[in-house]
Amino acid sequence: MTNACRPSFHGATVLSNTLIAERTWRVEIQVPELARISQPGQFFMVRLPGRTDPLLGRPFALCDVLPDQSGIAIVHMVVGRVTGLLANIQPGDPLEIWGPLGQRFPEPVAGARRVALVAGGIGQTPFLAHVRELLGSQGFGGHAPRRRVETVDFVYGARTANLHAGVDSFRDAGAIVHLATDDGSAGIHGRVTDVLSGLEKPDHVFGCGPEPMLHALAKQCVAMGIPCHLSLETPMACGLGICYSCVVKVRDDTSASGWDYRRVCIDGPTFAASDLVDFVSADRD
Amino acid sequence: MSQAPHSLATRLGRLLLPNPILVASGTFGYAREMDGVINLSRLGGIVPKTVTMAPRVGNPPPRTVETSSGMLNAIGLDNDGLDHFLDHHLPYLRTVGCPIILNFAAKAEAEFPQMAQKASKVEGLSALELNLSCPNVAGGIDFATRPEACERAVRSCRDACPDLPILAKLTPAVTDIVAVAQAAAAGGADAVSLVNTFPGLVIDWKRRRPFLGNGVGGLSGPAIKPLALRCVWNVARACPGLPIVGIGGIGCIDDVMDYLVSGASAVQMGTVNFYDPCAAIRVIEALPEALATLGVATVAQAVGAACGWKPQG
Repeated sequence: MTNACRPSFHGATVLSNTLIAERTWRVEIQVPELARISQPGQFFMVRLPGRTDPLLGRPFALCDVLPDQSGIAIVHMVVGRVTGLLANIQPGDPLEIWGPLGQRFPEPVAGARRVALVAGGIGQTPFLAHVRELLGSQGFGGHAPRRRVETVDFVYGARTANLHAGVDSFRDAGAIVHLATDDGSAGIHGRVTDVLSGLEKPDHVFGCGPEPMLHALAKQCVAMGIPCHLSLETPMACGLGICYSCVVKVRDDTSASGWDYRRVCIDGPTFAASDLVDFVSADRD
Repeated sequence: MSQAPHSLATRLGRLLLPNPILVASGTFGYAREMDGVINLSRLGGIVPKTVTMAPRVGNPPPRTVETSSGMLNAIGLDNDGLDHFLDHHLPYLRTVGCPIILNFAAKAEAEFPQMAQKASKVEGLSALELNLSCPNVAGGIDFATRPEACERAVRSCRDACPDLPILAKLTPAVTDIVAVAQAAAAGGADAVSLVNTFPGLVIDWKRRRPFLGNGVGGLSGPAIKPLALRCVWNVARACPGLPIVGIGGIGCIDDVMDYLVSGASAVQMGTVNFYDPCAAIRVIEALPEALATLGVATVAQAVGAACGWKPQG
């Protein structure tokens, strides 16, 4: 397991901190060591240095690798103390960051021409880099760019239009953007699953967002017979696999119960929806 | 660089460690996860995550929640059982290049010697640490809340595994931790590990329920350091000659030195591994200079250096 892609810990510097939607910030962090090796679907732990309160790092998906590979970008929404403090950081401020963590997104199924990336709220963050990779506009982890699919539909739901963050970035990256809002203020008045039903059937779906949305998406994809992978976020202390906090029930045919807890940080964060027993079972929701 | 390399060595009864910085059970996985993140061979020792005789699925999430300068956990001894550990994790741990201390917990008293006996038959373990005090498992704390139960558990392991040093890891949730530590020593413990997490609760008042899936949990991190340090200090002053491994809120070299002069012969770093994974290595590198600042040449000379203190007047 010892190789260049093992996680490493860095004292890093903030390059920029930009408000891109209501309470939603894009933070660019100078850390070339991680920019060179991180791949879409992986994440980082970010911590505010020099203090013990807040104590722990927080997980953030790789949103973008800067074109000159000098650093990475994360996007976050202010929901708690750490994100509240992160909203006030300035260029030049120090941050502690370790990664890359977890597994990259799996490749689309063989022969896939059309992939749908389905995001709810701040669950959009892992998908910008994913669009760039799928359409071959950028290579990651030292790999040359390579187009994987013809079309990427980006289905992006939010409570209201002001929370749709970085939509132009997704369009500029080449995705076909389909918006949905709970209040009808942008895109269709409804849910991401409603949008997905109206699209040309994708060959593979990737989802990230609130759990109820992922449950609905998982069931929809199972019903439609579409391979589906979900990127999860669970409460996490270390990101490294040593604390056993972030577990989720994953199908395990060797276990008497049919499932076992798996660590989202190292076995995930992306799982096949069909393996997430609580997501696809009929007795939930 | 005038320090001889052996100046960092420390002794816990029959167990000799290359330096006093260990990583605590439950905060370092089975070490494989940290391979390549830090240089494992430099550690004074690794205490892998607690194993039990039979596999345990662990508690439902959420399993951890942050608190002021600390965290509350109720993982619930999620592990694949002793046989899996010996077959799957120990072969890797043997290659790491630092002492490996098997930490295990028992559901019933009779399991302790059974597990100790199994451990006595394998290569690659430097010592055993008895988790007498996991707060997140029914009955788990009982072995270290009653001195007589603690003594029996330690003695049964000592008899079943006479060749490996034994550390008894105790809970701070007792009226008199000195009595429990003395019982562990009477049962044949080479050292006591002080302390496990403090029982605690985080409540979500709006949802009218505890935050953690298990309800209550164990508190760790910088917040508990003064509480844990007092346990070490009290036992060190009451039980001279009983080696102590200090645990609780250790994140930097000053924390390590606080524990050493208060009577700990070694320390375990725990929660810090989650938020500062290189902290243990950094502390090992800082140790020679801190010893020099104290005016001593060896770790042994620092141990208990404050324990002779008496209040003025």
